Formats: sequence, C-alpha cells, structure tokens
Amino acid sequence: MSFFTSLEFRTVIEALNQGFLRTLELFFVTLVGALPLGLIISFGSMSRFAPLRWFTKTLVWIVRGTPLVLQIIAIFYVPGLLGVYIWGGGDSGRFAAVSVAFIINYAFYFSEIFRGGIQAVAHGQTEAGLVLGMTRRQIFFRITLLQMIKRIVPPMSNEIITLVKDTSLARVIALQEIIWMGESFMKGNQGFAGLVWPLFFTAVYYLAFSGIVTILLNRLEKKLDYFRV
Amino acid sequence: MKKIIAILLAALMMVSITACGKEFDTDSEYIKDKGTLVVGITDFAPMDYKEAGSDEWVGFDADMAKLFAEYLDVDVKFVEITWGQKINELNSKSIDCVWNGMTLNDEVKAGMATSVPYCLNAQVLVVPADKAADYEGLTDLSGLNVAVESGSAGEDAAVALGANTVAVEKQADTLMEIAAGTSDAAVIDLLMAGAMIGEGTNYDNLTWVLNLNDMQNLESEEYGVGFRKDSDLVEKFNAFWAASLADGTAMEIATTYGVQESIIAE
Repeated sequence: MSFFTSLEFRTVIEALNQGFLRTLELFFVTLVGALPLGLIISFGSMSRFAPLRWFTKTLVWIVRGTPLVLQIIAIFYVPGLLGVYIWGGGDSGRFAAVSVAFIINYAFYFSEIFRGGIQAVAHGQTEAGLVLGMTRRQIFFRITLLQMIKRIVPPMSNEIITLVKDTSLARVIALQEIIWMGESFMKGNQGFAGLVWPLFFTAVYYLAFSGIVTILLNRLEKKLDYFRV
Repeated sequence: MKKIIAILLAALMMVSITACGKEFDTDSEYIKDKGTLVVGITDFAPMDYKEAGSDEWVGFDADMAKLFAEYLDVDVKFVEITWGQKINELNSKSIDCVWNGMTLNDEVKAGMATSVPYCLNAQVLVVPADKAADYEGLTDLSGLNVAVESGSAGEDAAVALGANTVAVEKQADTLMEIAAGTSDAAVIDLLMAGAMIGEGTNYDNLTWVLNLNDMQNLESEEYGVGFRKDSDLVEKFNAFWAASLADGTAMEIATTYGVQESIIAE
C-alpha cells in the first residue's frame, strides 16, 4: 500500500491530473464549438441553392476523408510555413490550433448526423405547420428541431464518446494532454524516468470519463422519451 | 443568406489583416523585436528536464540557453515539441531554435542552420542484463531484431551493422520493446541510456553492452544547436559558446550535470 503514498505515485497522479484537465478543456471546447457549427453546415448541405450545396458537400468529403491527425498538423504548421504566423510560440497557440482542428473536424461529422435527423422528420409535420399558418422559421424551431434532437441522441453519443478518446491525437503537435503526460515518465519527467505504468494508468481516466458521459447521454435519451413519433 | 456570406467574408478579411506581420532583415532583429527566444526541447535528462516538484527547466542545455538569451538581451521560453516535427516547428516560427542534445546528422544539417558542435555522444546497444554476456564482442548485429527510434542516428547505425530494425516513435518506446520481449535489443543515445535504464528506473533489468560508433570505426556523434536556415543567430551562438568556454562558465555548468567529459572544448 505504501506505493500509493509514495512520491512517485503522487508526482505521476499530479501530472496526469494536469494532462487530463487539458484533455477535458479540449473536449468541452470542441463540443461547444462543433455543435452549432455542425447545424450551420447541415443547412449548407441541404440548401436549395445548388452551388452552396455542392460546395458544402465537397468540404464534408475533404474533412471526413482525411485523417484528423493530418488536419491538426496542417492547421498548426502550414500557415507558419507559408509565412503567416497566426499561432505564435507557446502552449496557448498549440491549444488554439488543436481546438480549431477538432471543431472543424467534428462539426462536419455532426452536420451529417443533423442532416439525417432533420430529413428523417416526416414531411407531413412540415405540411401540418404550414396549414396552421406557421412560418418556415417557426416550423423549424418548434416542430422539426425538437423531433430531430430526439432522433440523433444515439448516433451523437457515439461521436461524443469517440471525441473523448480522439483528444489524444493532439499530442502530435505536443499539446500536453493525458497520454503525453503518461508517456513523459518513460523518458523522464520531474526526476522520474523509465516508468511504464503511468501510460497504462491513463486508461482509468478515460474509462471513468466516458462512463460519466454515457450515463448522462442515457439520461438525456430517457428524458426525450415523451416524444412518441 | 447574403448576410451570412457577408459576415463570413468580413471575418476572413479580419484574419488576413491581422495575419500580416512585420518583415525583418535578420532573425536576431525578429527575436529582439518580440523580446523572447523560444527554445524547442523535449524532456531529456541531463540536457533539459525538471526536478521533482519544480516547474523550472534545468539541465546543461537549459542552463546554457538561459545564458544565451541573457547574452542576446531577451527573455527565454522553453516549449516542448514533438521531435519528428522539429524542422516544421522552426520554419513555422513556433520555436526559434532546437536545443536539446540534437545529434548533427545529415537530416538536421539539411533542414536547419547548425552551430559548432558542443558535446559528444555515441549510440549504444541496450539488452536485458541477464543476456548481456551473449552480446559481448559482437562485430555486427545481423540476425538480431533491434528496436530503434524512427529517423534517429541510432537507426542509421543499426541498419549499417545489418540488424533487422523495428522503427518506433520514441527512444523510450524502444525500451518497452525489449521489456515486452518483442525485440532482442534497442539502440539509444549513450547520454539517454544513463538516465533511462539501470538502477532506480522501471528498466533496472536492462543494460548497455556495445558502442555502435566504435563498432563502425566512426567518430563519436556531435551535438549542436539548430536555428532557422540562414539565421544570423548561428554566428551569435558560436561567439557566445567560445566566450563561455573561455571564461569557464560552460565547464562549470557541465560539471553540475555530470557531462563535463562530453563537452567539446577545443
């Protein structure tokens, strides 16, 4: 038991906590940015204006068709390599670049889920709204959107759980999230070198967090149960 | 729709306006103007590392970098980078120099402007301690599965000596390969072997047996500092280094971190 009170254990846990805080920041920033952006993009891919529709679909193809890790590297390094220094040196620049990459990537995945959800709402619902004299805006916000949210909770849960784990890709540009911190003890960090267990111990954090997220999403799904459509 | 497009265009213009930075004739003017020298490092004892419970970067390279920034009359800032991206980091100006026990190999010399060498190093073969006797006196590595860091000087040496190499992402990962029994041996830097294997580490059952530089009759490797191509900071560093050798500060710091025998003091 003395291991759990040792300096080694305390130092590692402190570093992992710090890394996990970074992971959580990235997770929430991505969700807050990607959810509304995804909805806007889904309007683009359903637009009746054909050029906008094709433009959006091309972007969806590019973003979904390339690895997220490549997008992170491109967003962080390419502007600087072209002579436009937008990120600056330091950790905040790295976090900003990674956030932009994650928000864009996840917004495009979300947009397709939103599109599926909106298009799955029976056309009769819109017609009923029109008969009642509602405007298109009113129909969207009061009829379609609510039914869409209920339908998309299961596929969104999938993406959100994936996001929890995808945050680990951010270490490719040296963002110090939890996997980076776990690995750092192999090579040496704060006087401890050659430690392998911290890397594997990070799984505990991921499992606990995805467990909480799963429970919350299940509750949300139950709450939306009163919509019987 | 028009409104949205107008807003998007306005946002795009804002970004492009703020993105236009000032132009500088030399790298040192650029650094003077922003007032900070950003040093790209990895956690690599005894060159750049943190003491337990401290948040300050120390080590032979870190302490010298602090003095160099003082010499340039700017602040110093250390940023941990992903080693494979070091040239991109320099060119995209997210760092100003790579100063982290960097071996001056062809890749580094082609991608950066490099300083005079300041420290010596060698590549060593790491094996399980109980099997060390089997490896003594080998003249080549043929038939062995050897884990190496992808793109490292160690990989070049292992390939030249005929090993079947397994290229992994980091030097630390090569040790996990041996520990897990998926490779027979690993090749890492001598300085790093001192910090990562043996007593007091999780790899106390590993030891190093062969110096691959001696096996190939090669000179020892040399460490240098990397700057952007055509940077005038190379000359400034060389002048700074000569001065710190002359007044003894370099040797004093080297002795603090136990690397005095590796220092190149011509």
